Amino acid sequence: MAIFAIDMDELLKDLAAQQEYKQGFVTEVEQEFVPKGLNPDIIRTISRIKEEPSWLLQFRLDAFEKWQRMTPPAWGHLEMPEIDYQDIIYYAAPKRNQDRPKEIDPALMETFDKLGIPLREREVLAGVKDRSDVAVDAVFDSVSVTTTFRKTLSEKGIIFCSFSEAVREHPDLVRKYLSSVVPAGDNYFAALNSAVFSDGSFCYIPKGVVCPMELSSYFRINASGTGQFERTLIIADEGSRLSYMEGCTAPMRDENQLHAAVVEIVVEKDADVKYSTVQNWYPGDAQGRGGILNLVTKRGICKGSGSHLSWTQVETGSAITWKYPSTILLGDNSSSEFYSVAMTNNYQQADTGTKMIHIGRNTRSRIISKGISAGHSQNSYRGLVRMNPGAANSRNYSQCDSLLIGSQCGAHTFPVIHNSCPSAMVEHEATTSKISEDQLFYCNQRGIPGEDAVGLIVNGYAKEVLQRLPMEFAVEAQKLLSVSLEGAVG
Amino acid sequence: MDKVLVIGRDSVPDRIVLGGGENLSLTLAVLPGTDCDLSLEIDLDAPGASLDLAGIFVCRGSENVSINVNVRHNSGSCISTQLFKGIAGGKARARFNGLIYVAPDSQKTKAYQQCHTILLDGDAVVEARPQLEIYADDVECSHGATSGYLNEDERFYMQSRGIPVQDARRLQMISFLSAVASRLPEELRQQIYDSLS
Repeated sequence: MAIFAIDMDELLKDLAAQQEYKQGFVTEVEQEFVPKGLNPDIIRTISRIKEEPSWLLQFRLDAFEKWQRMTPPAWGHLEMPEIDYQDIIYYAAPKRNQDRPKEIDPALMETFDKLGIPLREREVLAGVKDRSDVAVDAVFDSVSVTTTFRKTLSEKGIIFCSFSEAVREHPDLVRKYLSSVVPAGDNYFAALNSAVFSDGSFCYIPKGVVCPMELSSYFRINASGTGQFERTLIIADEGSRLSYMEGCTAPMRDENQLHAAVVEIVVEKDADVKYSTVQNWYPGDAQGRGGILNLVTKRGICKGSGSHLSWTQVETGSAITWKYPSTILLGDNSSSEFYSVAMTNNYQQADTGTKMIHIGRNTRSRIISKGISAGHSQNSYRGLVRMNPGAANSRNYSQCDSLLIGSQCGAHTFPVIHNSCPSAMVEHEATTSKISEDQLFYCNQRGIPGEDAVGLIVNGYAKEVLQRLPMEFAVEAQKLLSVSLEGAVG
Repeated sequence: MDKVLVIGRDSVPDRIVLGGGENLSLTLAVLPGTDCDLSLEIDLDAPGASLDLAGIFVCRGSENVSINVNVRHNSGSCISTQLFKGIAGGKARARFNGLIYVAPDSQKTKAYQQCHTILLDGDAVVEARPQLEIYADDVECSHGATSGYLNEDERFYMQSRGIPVQDARRLQMISFLSAVASRLPEELRQQIYDSLS
């Protein structure tokens, strides 16, 4: 490789061919579907399959009614393809073996194995694997395949299961907290999700309990022509602690698939929740064909005093990302952080950021966002920091940096600061630049070739966020960043 | 060109175009008691153009101040700097909406924007939307926005040296505004400072 004069175009061409998305395979498994389309009958069918109580069906139908009256948001800095909501299958589940309904299909086992998601508790318990501190809820299309370590967790009173099970076994909790953070009519996609959501994870940490292991959800889209509409609800009761991770992948297809999720987090007094995401949905090919439309609503509420919620996200996948994990700081002295790395390449588009709504006194928030755009991609940060009149002595600090790799991409920053509290302080700063030739030259002259040098610089740039991730995720995220960068740089 | 425009007194153009090598230094002043909904577009159309824009607003009654600035770098090798400072009190609403746009291939662009506000009272509202929209990679762009209050420690320092609290507050506001106020003619500057009591 020429060390000094690197021909960008040549390298771009060379490397675009090599780009790989390892998780892009399809699992051959018999699945059952509901018919295409969206109407009250489909919603009733989904509700019936899931054996839901009538209040939940009513909740869905109400949400559907609201959704019909809403229009898709157009304010994002995104070129969104028209989505035909009648051309989507809203429920797809792998068929259960009639003779042994309790067992997991080996094909599914193999899929999750291939994705590096440990579903075999036994191995871990027997000491076959070194690390044992992750419990997983694995969701395949519209259903949760299994949730590991449920027993170990339930000894501490922790409920960790699929959403459908929670509806059956803990209806009071679900009813109390469902849509308490993200109302059904909150936005177009949240309303859609509220109407047709299939499965997701449910987690309840009782008072004073420190969750002994990381909990995680893994979402896999497999079937073609479907959308995934998962719903996650996390409740951390007084004084509890939890670290939660979320991962996701999908097969490579030329069609766009819709993923519209809702995540709600309730953090009670003095509780501490850390929510980490490594988003690796199929981003589409180098020409921008296919890929997941990731249109999700994630929101947490720091309900009690002294509560704390931390968001960390690494966004590398999806053709379109529309995602704003937000925190409502209601309790006095509560605090929240948002750490994000959003990487876009080829024709990916991302419009992502956060909202921090300060309501309580002495509330604190911190936003660190690192955008990286390469290829022909568009990457936007969009955020809101709001200080309500009662948010005395509250503080926010935001920093949004963008890195541009190549001259065809775009990096944008759209923050909003709204201050109506005379003792609150809000600070925002943003910079946009490219990797300087001096930095590259420095690496090159020490024998680090072009692509490695860029990888090194990007990882250094994103380090502040990456180091917030739990161990298991940090390594994966670093690898992902370099894979996503392949073909982007010279 | 070195221009000062008082909003409500002078007419402000909707759009200003700067050609190659043109420099514009412009200061916008929104005096107390002025309601405004200002929108200004500035295009830097040829290499070497430079813009030095500043703005000041003081609204402590029930004013409604809205400033929208759109700076477009349509050509490479241009420089723009923006600095806005404002104080809002009473029941005033102040809104700053500033966009820096860098067109594709406008390489070697340098664009900086700052907006700082002080909020004095609980019924006043400040909203800032500093925005960057960038389609070229070899650029240096940044923006910063803050919203805060008058520092108590500073006031204590002055009071402990015999400066009455009202004077101390006024000095704080003067020093906060001075970076922009110093660009104004003496008479206008004094008019603004006199209103800070």
